[in-house]
This record gives sequence, structure tokens and C-alpha cells, in this order.
Amino acid sequence: MIAAVTNGAVAGPFATGPPEVGRVMTEVALQLAVILIAARLGGFIAQSYFRAPSVLGELAAGMLFGPYALGGLPLPGWGPVFPLKGGPLPVSTELYGFAMLASIVLLFISGLETDPKTFLRYSVSGLAVGVGGIVTAFAIGDVAAVLLGIADSFLSPPALFLGTVATATSVGLTARLLSERRKMGSPEGVTILAAAVFDDVLGIVVLALVVAVTRAKGSQSTPADWKHIALIGAKALGFWILFTAVGLLLARRLTHLLKRLRSMTTIASICVGLALLVAGLSEMAGLAMIIGAYIVGLSLSQTDIAYELQERLRPLYDFLIPIFFCVMGMLVNFFAVKSVLLAAVFYGLAGIGAKIVGCGIPAWFTGFNLRGAVRIGTGMIPRAEVALIVAGIGLSSNIISPEVFGIAVSLTMLSTLLAPPLIVRAFQGGSGLRVAVEKRKEEEIRSVSLDLPSAELAEFLVSRINRAFRNEEYFVHRLHTDTPTWQIRKEDISFTIIQDDRRVILNMPARYQHIARFIVLEEILNLSEFLESVRKMQSPEDMGAQLLKGVFE
Amino acid sequence: MNKRYRKVLQPRNIILDLHATDKPGVIAELVDHLVSTGDIAPQKRDEVLAAVLSREKRMSTGLQHGVAVPHGKTDAVSDLIAVLGRSRHGAEFASLDGRPAQIFVLILSPESMAGPHVEFLAEISRLLTRAEIRERLLAAESAEEILNLFDQSADR
Repeated sequence: MIAAVTNGAVAGPFATGPPEVGRVMTEVALQLAVILIAARLGGFIAQSYFRAPSVLGELAAGMLFGPYALGGLPLPGWGPVFPLKGGPLPVSTELYGFAMLASIVLLFISGLETDPKTFLRYSVSGLAVGVGGIVTAFAIGDVAAVLLGIADSFLSPPALFLGTVATATSVGLTARLLSERRKMGSPEGVTILAAAVFDDVLGIVVLALVVAVTRAKGSQSTPADWKHIALIGAKALGFWILFTAVGLLLARRLTHLLKRLRSMTTIASICVGLALLVAGLSEMAGLAMIIGAYIVGLSLSQTDIAYELQERLRPLYDFLIPIFFCVMGMLVNFFAVKSVLLAAVFYGLAGIGAKIVGCGIPAWFTGFNLRGAVRIGTGMIPRAEVALIVAGIGLSSNIISPEVFGIAVSLTMLSTLLAPPLIVRAFQGGSGLRVAVEKRKEEEIRSVSLDLPSAELAEFLVSRINRAFRNEEYFVHRLHTDTPTWQIRKEDISFTIIQDDRRVILNMPARYQHIARFIVLEEILNLSEFLESVRKMQSPEDMGAQLLKGVFE
Repeated sequence: MNKRYRKVLQPRNIILDLHATDKPGVIAELVDHLVSTGDIAPQKRDEVLAAVLSREKRMSTGLQHGVAVPHGKTDAVSDLIAVLGRSRHGAEFASLDGRPAQIFVLILSPESMAGPHVEFLAEISRLLTRAEIRERLLAAESAEEILNLFDQSADR
């Protein structure tokens, strides 16, 4: 081994292979080490010292330690940790692969989290707001590209890409801010969530179309051959519709089969495998990989294992996301961006304005007043992972230049920086509704509330009830709310259990209430028998004496 | 849940005329029927009976409108099994509404195996919530007719 090191080769499992593989793998290991540590610390610093979303810290860490900054400086005896690579991407293909994997997992989870029920319930205002935001943002992004001299026509690939980058809202940031302030259930909050679903779906369709069209056209902005473009657009749309339809049709049957494997870990792994498979297929069909991943997620979102999958994938997500944002930061070429700094700021602000106006106006027309419209508009501002993924696709396929990539990243940075204070401010004050809109018709929900002698006993009962539901093959999922709340699902059936101090509240759709009532009743009877047996327990004094005997010898 | 009772509740496990007139008698008659059809091994009879009676002791399973759903968890059975018994004269079952019960569905599920067992119990009870179905069930002439009534109630 000493000989190997002195020879300049790298020891370890790759020592026997060709020296290049060892060198490349060592490089990737060192890079991931730097990225993981720097991204996490960057996120921590952004959150605790600047009260900014951790995404900003992760992006900044990428910029600071990337090949264009500190990462490009040579280390003695090794060279730069992030040597500047030739070609469209400044980082190695291996490293970019991790970012791609992260984006696939991200979009898979994003599809899983989609709740078509919310989106149907608030479909009118949600659709109007979502479509308004997409159309306006795409148009403004596209026009901005031409105005800034980045593209020479509205249909040239860079213009189409800057339009697409501006479309996709990442509602996660808004959702977190609103749920911290308990505004998630407000008409504005729900409309934003519903709009975000349309936004996601339409944004992905726009991306599919743009990627397909630009790849067919190549990076040159040749005069548009409409027939050809329409054909490619139809193919992209066809793939999307076909796979979504097949996915939605087969998802339940598939999960039914998968459940035979019993282990949720195995099921989750297979589902990620499927997401990667369809991602690959969609890339082969000339679309982006994330589109396939999103379709698989969306299909599985309607199955009873959706929550369980989200829970299982959370650690993978937490691990990959900082890598993703950090690598995206590394792609920013400061030298190139310096010359287009003003353009970047202009594009960023235009993208922010586009959502406020594009989403605000439809909101105003669907029953919100000016305050409500502004709330919804600002709630739709944040752009994050999807914008970066789109920009990354453009950069890696040589459709956009490093300058344009920098401009695209500026939208993510500016919107993430400006959205939180704007959202918090917008949500102060009174109602955002123009008139008291009549309560929407919802499925009849029955509620039963049980009072227990103590909070501890209530907690114990809830844990027993949850176990009983699991035994009945339901999926129990703890929601991240202040009051402990669980969602219990199987196929179409969904109950919630809330434990509010010593009260246990059970909400159930009228159609299925008998199931919940019987299961809870049996559990309460079991509990009373259990308590009976506790009473018969050997006296606590005797047990205590037994436990302490011999301690003081 | 789709008509799982069709699989669990076989026509041979439907008794049109129960003789017993009280709770222990009805439960014993239902369990003995399962022994006679071979669903329960004869040596397990007492174990099954004890499981059902122990659940009954905690709270009567006599619901309202003459329906009772005695049940128990016991490893004397390896799968969900059920038997339906009808009593023309009714039997005292300590029901919620104090009236004697006439329709009894005994459900047994294995203790150590998870599965949608209580759900089945709830579903059977739900099928019997309509007065019209109950009346026609009491007048039914055959086991198949009773199962058809369940179908009608489920399809509603």
C-alpha cells in the first residue's frame, strides 16, 4: 500500500483497477465530503444568523466552494478539489449525477405530496391562479430574455428556457411560512396549495414541451418549423398523458401487489426504482428525467401507501437536497455573471412581479379582495428546485450559456430572499375575501370526541388505536402539526385522529364512520381490560423494593 | 371490502332457525354449528366459546333493532370465519335498545394475525342498518336469499 501511495496511485479498493478510476472516485469522495459539510453549515448559518431559508445558505456554499471560487484553488499534493471541467458543466459528470439523482427523488416526492382532492375542491380559483401564474411568468420570462438581448426571438431556445425557469413555483417555502402562522387552512392558503398543484403539473408539461422542442431544434435559433414543433409538442404531451393515465390506473393494483412484500422499506425502494425507470424512459422519449419521476410520484399519491412512502424517503431527501442546491450553486460562473449582473436582477424581479400579477389577478376575479389577491400572488413567488433543474438541463445540454444560467439562478436566489418577508407582511390584517363566500360543499364528516382522565392516558389510547388500525391494514401517518394529529388511510378511506390534551377527537367521513367507530370501540374495551390487569399488578411497593434491593450493598 | 362477506359467509354457515333463547345459548349454538361444519376443530370448541364470552363480558355486542354481532379473537381459528344465525322468536342479548335480538352474526378472527377483521365486523353491521333489509332477512326462505339481500344492501 505504501508503495502504491508513493507511486502516486491511490490505495484502497480501487488500487488494483486502473489508476484513473481510483483518482476519479477519490475526487468524488472528497467533493461530496466538502459539499455535505459546507451545504449543511451554510444552511445552518443562513437559518440561524440571517433568518433566511436554508436553501440560500446551501446555494451560497456551492458558489463559495465551487470550481469558480475556493474549490478551484489547488491543494498541495492533490490539485484543486473541484477542478474546472471543460464542456457545458464546470463540475464532473459523476458529481452532476448526484444532483440529477437528487432532482429525480425530489420530483418523485413532489408528485407523491400532490393532493388532487384539495385541488379539486378549490379547483376553480386554483386553476385560474395556477394557469394565470404559469402563463404570465412564462411570457414575462420569455420577453425578458429578448429585451435583455439574451435571445433574438421569442421562440429561440434560450428565451423558451428563461420562460420555463420562471414558471414553476416551489410552494414548500410558502407552505412552511403559512403553517407556522396557522394560515395554511385559510382560503388564501388552500387556494395557493391548489394553484401549486396546477402549477406543478402545467409547469412540468411546459418543461416537457420546451425540452422536446429545443432539443429537436438544437441550440441554434433556426427559423421555427411549426409543423415539426407541433409534432414534437404532441409527442411530449402524449407521453405525459399516456404515462399519467397508465400510472393512475395501475397504481392501486401495483401497490396491492407490492404490499405482499410486507416490508415498507422494500416497497419504498421498489417505488424509487420505478421512478428512476420512468425517468429514464422519459429521457429516452426526448423529455426531461424529472418528468417521469413526477408522473410516478403523482400516480402513487392516490394510494394508501403515499404517506408511508413520503416518510421512508424523508432521510434520502434530507441527504440529497443539500447536495442538489450546493452543486447548483457550483454551476454559477461569477465571471460570466458579472457582465450580466443587471440583467440577472432585472430578470429576477420580473419573475417575482410576474407571479404577483399573474396569480393575483385571477384570485381577484374568483372572490378575493385586493389583500387576498396580493397574498396569493406573493405566496406563489418562491422558485427553487424546479427552476434550478430546468436551468441545469439547459446548461448541461448546451442550450443556454453560463451567463444565462447565472441569470436563471438569480431568480431562485432573489425570490427565496424576498418571498418570506413579503409573504409574512401580506398575511397580516383581516379577511382576504371580497364577500363572505358561502361555505363550499364538502363530504359530510362526522366527529366523535372522547374525554379521558389524563393526557397520558389519551396519548396511550391514541397509540393503541393507531396500532389497531395498522393491524386492520390501514396506513397511519403522523402529520407535522402542533396538535398531535394522525392521518389513517386505506384505499379511499381516510380518518384523522387528533389528541388535544386529554381529549381524543376522531374525524371520519359519514360513509365509513362505522369502521372507525367499531375499531375504536374494540380498542377502548381492550384498554379497560388492560387497566384492570394493571390493578391486579403486584404492589408497586414490592416491585420498588425488589428493584432497589442490592443497590446499596 | 368488496363483498368480502361472500367469501367469509358461506351458505352452509347460515342458520335459518336458532333454538336458543338466551345469550349463552345462542353463542353456544353458533359455535357448535361451526364445529359441525368443520370450521372449528371439536377440541377447540371451548376455547372459542371462552373468547367470545370474554368479549361479551366487557360489553354486550347486542346492537339495536334486533342485530347482534358477537365476536372474539382466538388462535383456534387460522382465518376470519363467520356464521349467521336467525331466531324467529328472538333471544335476550342485553342489546343497546333493550330489545331481544333476532339476527346474530358471530365473527371469529385469529388473535396473532393482523388483518381487516374489525373492519369486516363493521361492514356486516352496516349492511344490516336498513330496516327493509332486516325485515326481508327475517322473512327469507333460504341462505342464498339472505346473501342476496346483503348484496343489495352493499350495492346501494
